[in-house]
Amino acid sequence: MVMKRLDVRLLRLIKHSKGQFFSISIMVIIALTIYISFNMVADNLYNSIYHYYEETNFSDVFIEVVRVPKTAIDKLYTIEGIESAQGRISADVPLRVEDPEEKVRVRIVSVPNEDKIINNLYKIEGKDLQVDSKKTAVLQQFSDARGIVLEDRVRPYIAGREYPLEVISIVGSPEYIYLMENEQSLIPAPEKFGILYVTEDFAQSALGYQGSYNEIMVKINPEYYNSVDNIVDDIEDQLDRYGVKSIVKREDQLSHSMMMQEVEQLEAMATSITLLFLIVAAIIINIMLSRIVKNDRMSIGVMKALGYNNISILMHYTKFSLAIGLLGSIIGIVLSIPLSAAFTNLYIFYMNIPMFEMTLYEKYFIYGIVLTSVFCIISGLIGARSVLKILPASAMQPEIPKAGHRIWLEQIKFIWNRISFSWKMVIRNIFRKKKRAIFLILGIALTYSITMVPIFMSSVWGNVFMIQYGKYQTMGYNIDFTIPMNDSVIREISQLIDVDSIEPKTEIPFELRNGWKKKAVSVIALPENTSFYYFESMSGQELKLPTNGILLSDRLAKAIGASVGDDILMKSFLPDGDDTYINVKGVVEQYLGTNAYMTIDTMNELIGEKGLITGVLLNSKDDVVTKLKDVKNVKQVQSVEDMKNSFLEFMDMMIYSVGVMMIFGGILGFAIVYNVNVISISERVMEFSSLRVLGFDKREIYKMVSRENGIMAFFGILIGMPLGYSMCKGMIASLAMDMVTIPLIIENSSYVITAIATLSFVIIAQLATVRKIYRLNFLDALKNRIS
Amino acid sequence: MDSKEVLMKVEGVSKFYQMGEVTVAALKDVSLNIYQGEFVVILGPSGSGKSTLLNILGGMDLPSEGKVVMEGEEITNYSDRKLTIYRREKIGFVFQFYNLMSNLTAIENVELATEICSDALNVNEVLEAVGLGERKDHFPAQMSGGEQQRVSIARAVAKNPSLLLCDEPTGALDFNTGIKILSQLKRINKEYNKTVIIITHNMPIGAMADRVIKMRSGEIIETKVNDNPIPPEGIEW
Repeated sequence: MVMKRLDVRLLRLIKHSKGQFFSISIMVIIALTIYISFNMVADNLYNSIYHYYEETNFSDVFIEVVRVPKTAIDKLYTIEGIESAQGRISADVPLRVEDPEEKVRVRIVSVPNEDKIINNLYKIEGKDLQVDSKKTAVLQQFSDARGIVLEDRVRPYIAGREYPLEVISIVGSPEYIYLMENEQSLIPAPEKFGILYVTEDFAQSALGYQGSYNEIMVKINPEYYNSVDNIVDDIEDQLDRYGVKSIVKREDQLSHSMMMQEVEQLEAMATSITLLFLIVAAIIINIMLSRIVKNDRMSIGVMKALGYNNISILMHYTKFSLAIGLLGSIIGIVLSIPLSAAFTNLYIFYMNIPMFEMTLYEKYFIYGIVLTSVFCIISGLIGARSVLKILPASAMQPEIPKAGHRIWLEQIKFIWNRISFSWKMVIRNIFRKKKRAIFLILGIALTYSITMVPIFMSSVWGNVFMIQYGKYQTMGYNIDFTIPMNDSVIREISQLIDVDSIEPKTEIPFELRNGWKKKAVSVIALPENTSFYYFESMSGQELKLPTNGILLSDRLAKAIGASVGDDILMKSFLPDGDDTYINVKGVVEQYLGTNAYMTIDTMNELIGEKGLITGVLLNSKDDVVTKLKDVKNVKQVQSVEDMKNSFLEFMDMMIYSVGVMMIFGGILGFAIVYNVNVISISERVMEFSSLRVLGFDKREIYKMVSRENGIMAFFGILIGMPLGYSMCKGMIASLAMDMVTIPLIIENSSYVITAIATLSFVIIAQLATVRKIYRLNFLDALKNRIS
Repeated sequence: MDSKEVLMKVEGVSKFYQMGEVTVAALKDVSLNIYQGEFVVILGPSGSGKSTLLNILGGMDLPSEGKVVMEGEEITNYSDRKLTIYRREKIGFVFQFYNLMSNLTAIENVELATEICSDALNVNEVLEAVGLGERKDHFPAQMSGGEQQRVSIARAVAKNPSLLLCDEPTGALDFNTGIKILSQLKRINKEYNKTVIIITHNMPIGAMADRVIKMRSGEIIETKVNDNPIPPEGIEW
């Protein structure tokens, strides 16, 4: 079949403006690549997680108790909907490693002696865990991070004794796809915290749980998934006297919720980045096509005179944008396949999902093509719509020049008279194409704000850390005991180490309820006049610990919907603990972690004890970690320094995503500035030619264009600042995590760095158009007034 | 002349333009007949309304008053769609500034017109006929003005239209080239038996016409039948 002549013309038109064609295509390619690959990775990730859960019989409900006998677990089967329930022992203990300074903790977890184990281990290498009590299976992330291999010996330190265990297998677990010690951990630190799976016999004897357990895993019959909450209530009632510390449904399980967040974030990014790039591409296509149609006015007149109807002419131009869409789609699809594979591999690496499946979901190819085509066709039709208004008879005549008029700035004689002639021209040019100037300014503002988000994010973590551990919490060390101790222990510790200051604390988990909303948190009790904690209300006022009442962290207050003055219910997890109402006296800012605070006196009253504490806070220049290492009843010593180190690692991870986002911002800025410049240069060929004839040289014309861009970049950045601020705000809201609040503190330097980055994008884009001006053949341009 | 078959009938056609508060009449009550196979030259200075008339005859513009009947059908009450088909099937245009598509070759420019017609002539033969057989793969920018105008004529003729409308076809050309173009048009008139209307302000061209219609200020001021039209080569200006 011979190609239609109009299509031949279209191909030549594309060839003629290939720079623009490709720069817009790149935006479509990015949009589509991201759309397809992120969605495919999200789907793959989701399906693989669930496949993994099925293979390993992942638990639906996780229960922590003080101590429960096997008979009580067996009795749970009487609750309708429970498919199976298994007990296990779990305890966090130190691990002895070569460097005595290094603090490594492991969670000893027993594997039930059952046929169909809940949370079964996924064996990566080695043998099954046998009854032999001196063997252990190590979680892969931990063994990888610490270089532990089969037949190595690991030495957990349990209840004052070291137990050398031989590593007989490396395993994965559905419970720890995302390995974090607890909700307060900022990020996974697999070399500092790991899981050792041991036999039930070993765990029971080493940890002193003969015949009993401290954790129960429950599988629910899928038919009862809708009534999980009722089942949980029944479990709570049945187990109440064994001291239920927490009941966590799968949806709230740490690793699971992190993984689901990851999937959701991928999906959200797939949508938002795709739409952003497609919308900007559509606007540029629209501007470009309306310029082409304007330039082609006479040709359109001829086409109409030859008998072409409006639809075929409109289609002729719309095909230009459709070609962009199709080229972008094809390349986008081709690129998305290896990119999906690469992302998937990245997840295998980071997420430890052993049987990750890589499936191509062709539906996203189709959705992607449809999505881009719709965008391109609509923008093409809108851009080329003026075809309809062109009358064949008048199109043959040269167009009447647009009436020039004074701009409002000229009214202000005081300013206008002081502007040099070449600047006057620059300013008039900007005003002459107002809509386009606005698009360019908004485009630069958008680039600025997109670039600002990663720059803000990379600086804000420093602030989170500085404020949380420089202002709100000023202790150097946080020490937890294995069992509640008499407060006289403070004196003993002061004798052991040279402390600058020391305070007692009591940290006990409670379930806080307000109406139907509830949340399990650690309630921290402190001396009334604590010097290590500083409480600040949301409006920045200092708050004191109330003598009778409770302070809630902001996120906690939101989670249970409580505000100052409300009475909330504190449900104790302790065996036979009473439930009490307590008054909320204040809501405090807390960036890391979710806690509630009260005085030690209030706490003692609540639990009916006197003089008992669960830990101390202290400041000291002494070597606290080493000195307290083997002290009996010290469960853990956490130093702010440790937090800082894990934080620095976290920063390294951030740099990568910051870079990626900046590249997106840069591409966007480049595409906008480049395309708008090319369009405006091609529109003004005649004008530039006249200037050349008048004696302007190429550099002066280029300078004029640069000044126009400079002014628009200035206003773009000006508008970009508040826009970036709100974008950062939106980013924080979308990242709202359970354990971290990101404060909206934007450094002045962030604004400056962003401005420099944005200007660089503008300059690069403008340099790309230099050629267009330098190659301008002004004599030809002036001669070819017609045709 | 009355024994000839009437191709087109123009009855009382006027065209008014609203220029702000003033109404300008570009055509005032013009009536005429065009006969099959005729070679007509419409003469008049700029602003005489000849281009407006041509646009109305060609279905590119509609009159404010009056009607135009082509081969028995009134085109002045055609819809946009029908007018487009009318231009496609019945009319061939030749413009003063050729108006070729700069990014299509000579043959592609002609094919652009023929591929939407139902009864087009062989494109190669027509290009051969206007003497461009050798140059058909050149782009407009690689051709002289005369050659471009010949492409334009080929484009109009190849559609096999009932009526060829030429708007100052020699206006942008030098004398010698202009004469050659007029010879081409005359040849087409004779060989293909096409009705040709040329509008021009160039008086001597009238000598080659079967009939000369003179216009001024939107009105026909004189119609002269030329019993012995001279060959274009004999014209001088």
